[in-house]
Amino acid sequence: MLDQFLWGFFPYIVLTIFIGGHIYRYNHDQFGWTTKSSEFLEKKSLRFGSVLFHWGILFVFVGHVMGILIPKSFYDAIGISEEIYHTMAIGFGIPAGVAAIIGLAILVQRRLTVKRIRLTSSKADFLVLFLLAIVMLTGLASTLLNVDSKGFDYRTTISPWFRSVLMFQADPSYMVDVPIWFKIHIVAALSIFIVWPFTRLVHVFSMPFRYLGRSYVVYRKRMPKNHQL
Amino acid sequence: MKEKSPLFKRLKYVKPIERHANDHSEVTYGDRDWENVYRRRWQHDKVVRSTHGVNCTGSCSWNIYVKDGIVTWEGQKLDYPTTGPDMPDFEPRGCPRGASFSWYIYSPLRVKYPYVRGVLLNMWREALKEHKNPLEAWKSIVENPEKAKRYKQARGKGGFVRAEWDEVLNLIATSLLYTVIKYGPDRNVGFSPIPAMSMISHAAGARFMSLMGGPILSFYDWYADLPPASPQIWGDQTDVPESSDWYNSGYIITWGSNVPMTRTPDAHFLAEVRYKGTKVVSISPDFAESTKLADDWMSVKQGTDGALAMAMGHVILKEFYVDRQVDYFINYVKQYTDFPFLVTLKKQENGQFIADRFLNANDIGRKTTNGEWKPALWNDKTNTFAIPNGTIGSRWEDKGKWNLHMVDEETNESIDPRLSLLGIEDEIVTIQIPYFSHEGNQILERAVPMKKVQTETGELYVTTVYDLVLANYGVDRGIGGNVAKTFDDAIPFTPAWQESITGVKRELVIKIAREFAQNAIDTKGRSMIIVGAGINHWFNSDTIYRAVLNLVLFVGAQGVNGGGWAHYVGQEKLRPVEGWQTIAMARDWQMPPKLQNGTSFYYFATDQWRYEDTPVGQLVSPLVKEARYQHYADYNVLAARLGWLPSYPTFEKNGIDLYNEAVASGAKTPEEIGKYIAQQLKEKKLRFAIEDPDNEKNFPRNLIVWRANLISSSGKGHEYFLKHLLGTTHGLMNDDKDSLRPEEIQWRDEAPEGKLDLLINLDFRMAGTALYSDIVLPAATWYEKHDLSSTDMHPFIHPFNPAIEVPWEARSDWDIFKSLAEAVSKLAEEIGMGPVKEVVATPILHDTPQELAQPLGKVKDWSKGECEPIPGKTMPQIHVVERDYTKIFEKMTALGPNVVKAPYGVKGMTWSVEEEYEKLKKTLGTVSGASVANGCPDISEAKKVAEAILTLSSTTNGRVAVKAWESLEKKTNLRLKDLAAEREEECFTFEQITAQPKTVITSPAFSGSEKGGRRYSPFTTNVERLIPWRTLTGRQSFYVDHELMQEFGETMATFKPILQHKPFKKNRPEIEGKEITLNYLTPHNKWSVHSMYFDSQPMLTLFRGGPTIWLNKDDAKEAGIQDNDWIECFNRNGVVVARAVVSHRIPRGMAFMHHAQDRHINVPGSKLTNNRGGTHNSPTRIHVKPTHMIGGYAQLSYGFNYYGPTGNQRDLNVIIRKLKEVDWLED
Repeated sequence: MLDQFLWGFFPYIVLTIFIGGHIYRYNHDQFGWTTKSSEFLEKKSLRFGSVLFHWGILFVFVGHVMGILIPKSFYDAIGISEEIYHTMAIGFGIPAGVAAIIGLAILVQRRLTVKRIRLTSSKADFLVLFLLAIVMLTGLASTLLNVDSKGFDYRTTISPWFRSVLMFQADPSYMVDVPIWFKIHIVAALSIFIVWPFTRLVHVFSMPFRYLGRSYVVYRKRMPKNHQL
Repeated sequence: MKEKSPLFKRLKYVKPIERHANDHSEVTYGDRDWENVYRRRWQHDKVVRSTHGVNCTGSCSWNIYVKDGIVTWEGQKLDYPTTGPDMPDFEPRGCPRGASFSWYIYSPLRVKYPYVRGVLLNMWREALKEHKNPLEAWKSIVENPEKAKRYKQARGKGGFVRAEWDEVLNLIATSLLYTVIKYGPDRNVGFSPIPAMSMISHAAGARFMSLMGGPILSFYDWYADLPPASPQIWGDQTDVPESSDWYNSGYIITWGSNVPMTRTPDAHFLAEVRYKGTKVVSISPDFAESTKLADDWMSVKQGTDGALAMAMGHVILKEFYVDRQVDYFINYVKQYTDFPFLVTLKKQENGQFIADRFLNANDIGRKTTNGEWKPALWNDKTNTFAIPNGTIGSRWEDKGKWNLHMVDEETNESIDPRLSLLGIEDEIVTIQIPYFSHEGNQILERAVPMKKVQTETGELYVTTVYDLVLANYGVDRGIGGNVAKTFDDAIPFTPAWQESITGVKRELVIKIAREFAQNAIDTKGRSMIIVGAGINHWFNSDTIYRAVLNLVLFVGAQGVNGGGWAHYVGQEKLRPVEGWQTIAMARDWQMPPKLQNGTSFYYFATDQWRYEDTPVGQLVSPLVKEARYQHYADYNVLAARLGWLPSYPTFEKNGIDLYNEAVASGAKTPEEIGKYIAQQLKEKKLRFAIEDPDNEKNFPRNLIVWRANLISSSGKGHEYFLKHLLGTTHGLMNDDKDSLRPEEIQWRDEAPEGKLDLLINLDFRMAGTALYSDIVLPAATWYEKHDLSSTDMHPFIHPFNPAIEVPWEARSDWDIFKSLAEAVSKLAEEIGMGPVKEVVATPILHDTPQELAQPLGKVKDWSKGECEPIPGKTMPQIHVVERDYTKIFEKMTALGPNVVKAPYGVKGMTWSVEEEYEKLKKTLGTVSGASVANGCPDISEAKKVAEAILTLSSTTNGRVAVKAWESLEKKTNLRLKDLAAEREEECFTFEQITAQPKTVITSPAFSGSEKGGRRYSPFTTNVERLIPWRTLTGRQSFYVDHELMQEFGETMATFKPILQHKPFKKNRPEIEGKEITLNYLTPHNKWSVHSMYFDSQPMLTLFRGGPTIWLNKDDAKEAGIQDNDWIECFNRNGVVVARAVVSHRIPRGMAFMHHAQDRHINVPGSKLTNNRGGTHNSPTRIHVKPTHMIGGYAQLSYGFNYYGPTGNQRDLNVIIRKLKEVDWLED
């Protein structure tokens, strides 16, 4: 029953809130859509913490895409063996995870000990850090406990489950025998997706990519409504 | 059309982008709504001109911005009339304090509702249930010792509950009327300072109190801002140049004045004038903000400025009077000072002499009226004695001789006054001059040329003031005496002598003195000294001031634009003075108001008089055998008895009962009643209240405080206030077991605690006074009412306008007192109170013929049988005043008929304002119906009051100004009205000054001229138009000959060291580790104006956010204190806890605690009192000086805020040590 809920219904609740929440937030809180940068208040430890965390998490994200979203059959087809895949995953994944965790630790420490940061923090800021810490610690723990890949293969359990969710044919049976660390990791990650639209995390969707293709000089039309090409 | 959602608008990724210029530019059609946020940031619905009614003399004009019904911010107004093409303008005026004011309106400190302490309100409600008559109900509380103690002890301990306006007003009215009937109207007292900062609000309460017969207390002297030297020298309260006149100066000394900090909006003139080449010298112990502007800095040891000034005077006299003569100086001092006047010399047993009193017309055999009041001089043209025009005797003769023309008033012969008798002397004699020092007072033996005068009563010896002054300064004129051969002789008062006292190098003193005088020669007197609180808050500040002011007189700088003194200490010029005083003192209905000098009142009311321990005898001149009294309070009793100072509560009996007694004994007219009172006093059947201040019959019962923060800000001797006046928990570590005992006052072993029945406070913020009050009434802020403000720093009158309606249940001060008047009248009606008559005593007043009451400055005490008690002559004037308490409201809200019927004017001038009164009936409308005010102009609203004041005053109504000048023309036989004639048609209206500031019209109410855009400088009309000063000689005084001045050795300028004060006499708390004893000074704060703004968040963020005390780094090291440590600072008067600010900016030996650091922000506890540390005033108390109590004698006659003892508090030391444990007492 719990399995049915956690791996059958819950992801869709999360997805609904995640997507709907972002649309709602974007439409109703334009000025709250921000990274809430606190660099103005403290720079030194942010420089290390933020860079380590963000680059770390980026690599971790790419790793997740490679391991979860892309099916094992794809790798088999292009000739990447289980062994090579695993070596690559561990070789890149652990340093990236460690970097992100160190970064996060610095950020947590900074938020707690620098008075002006602490006083300007909202509860949501602490909540985000807390959830991130759980997700990342459980994620790294799962990876480390699974170094030799002899016992458990997430590419045959978690990955198909995840893809089944995305295909709206969620199959909780994939998840029944997954070790507890992975389960905590997944539930915590889903929790982050729930709070995501309502926290500073929305900044993930505000990467300034347009900037790359923009002309040097930009004229903004005064009356965009009446514009006709 | 429905707005597209932001997300939808954003989704245009596939639309083609319009590009130009080879793709260098593009046009976007994105959402621009976000820009509106920035656009709206500075949008507003309304802008209103108002100002800040704060005690800072700024009077800056501000725009108040309102958005969505909320005051959002304020901005400086920039439309002041120009000062002319060659001068910087006044704009912009303002400072960070004022710029942050709007914070208060919606702050947690805002008083929103009427509050009464719960314990009192419950008692009152219960008592009302039991008693039908409210007065009986009130009696059942205040006359019940247990109940009274219960609510009095709760003062300052929270427990406020909201109450309804009607209920509170009824409670106050009951207490007021109960007191009137039981103890007398003069037991209800009102206190509000500095009318100029919001004059309608001040007038509201003052008018109410005056109609009630309650005294209002002075503040200028109580704040120790009044410089008694000014009345002594000039017969003028204080008159100073506006700040733009600094720009006319050629040489400026800032002496104990921190212009950038305390005159922030004006400081730019001081910075700018330096670009013209003007030299600026700073005289200040610490490296003050003003020191940064200076070319030379004289770091003088605090409180020794008098020595420095005497030495500078010595240099100027020696080099510019004796060694060579400067025509400009000689002509100036001959015409405008008392230098040529003759002083009699008293021969001592050893053949030496002592300077005594002025030689007068009677002495030289003139048969004339007021002969004793006409000092004489020697006319070189006729080689005889002469009496010049302009003496105070001629002032009150009204023969048109009161002017400064140098002619003999009787013979009309032209006079060339002789400065020195040297050359025509009969003999060179030795004169004894008192000298004061911590090493023991001495007698200096100096030489003067003396001439003998044969009079009807025998031979008199005389010399001139000039000869006396040269002798006093120890200048060598080659006639012997113990004088200085060179500046390096270390005898009083040379530059070498002062070195060991002040710590300033003699070379610097000589240099600055020479430059100051030389600049005056080069610029015809444009040498200026800006004096400030740094030298004004001492016990002997008047001697410091006289030594300093002598410098500007020596060099002919006074009465010259860009020259003279500039005293910026609490002085705020109330420009429309006649209209204001008519309304504020309710002179339109009745005379006289009861104008009590604040210091004496608080000295007795808080029982600080019980704790004196330095006998007066230690402070008097070595030339007198002993002091008249050993206790300061005895002098105050003398002053009350002889009509020198007011004294309310006056008699130990209710003035109403006294009237009835007098009538019962057969007296009918006011004169007969006066005689009856005099007889009763003489036979000691009637005593003054001041002779028994601790008798419950003589307590002040109700104290209403508005526009002021008395408890915590100006209440020097804070813990004495708490203990004796309020009767609540206090931190006093002093006792009166072995203090000095007075002779004239009944000593009661048991000192009373909790004298006041009610402390009532009107305020918009919960500051110290409100927290200790029984009742707090919510007042409107400066952005919520109509009012007027003016200052001495600029010549404009600014309006207050409401930007928003008064929020919550607050009301403007005018409306509060109006509703209080209504409550009193209603209650009086209810209890069937008919009209009553009251005996009222007033002191002998300056600027009235009474100032000729007590001739020759001799003290004649009727209680010692030295003369008869004659009201208005040897004792206070006695009046009979009728009061009908049912009519208070009707009178309060209408401008009464006495505006026209009674004499109208100011400073001894009177004229008619009948035209203006008729005009007001039309512009304001009249009251109609069954009212005593039927047909009178309606002044029920503050704005109407403002219009009435503007119409009735000579500075704001050209026609009135011309009439005032005509009145003075008659007195002086001078042509003067051209000073205002060109503006005769102008009459300021409230709308006009709201549209743009207007420069006031030149009026004889003040001594300077604004004619033709001229910058205001004091006494310029005296100098240029030959209007006499309102002094004994009619000139500026170097010599003041009153007997009490002789007793204290202050007939001339001299140096007096600061009092020697020990933090503890006995019962000193145990020494815990390192500590240091420092002189405790409480100068102005950079981030507040007194206590205002100290508790505002915007200002608290600027510096450490709570109480601080500054001390020198080496002193701190000695006491083991580091920067930002919590310290306790204490002496027998109390303890204050603060953070240490350790700085090299402060010299060793002193501690700065900027006032007024109120106690409701961040104050931890102290183990010394087991209570929170006190306020900046906890370690202080006042020291009253007997010479400030002189009265009944020419310029030394009483005027409200004009003369009276100052509430000085600087001559004190404290122990400072690190706080062992910072306990916030929060468990």
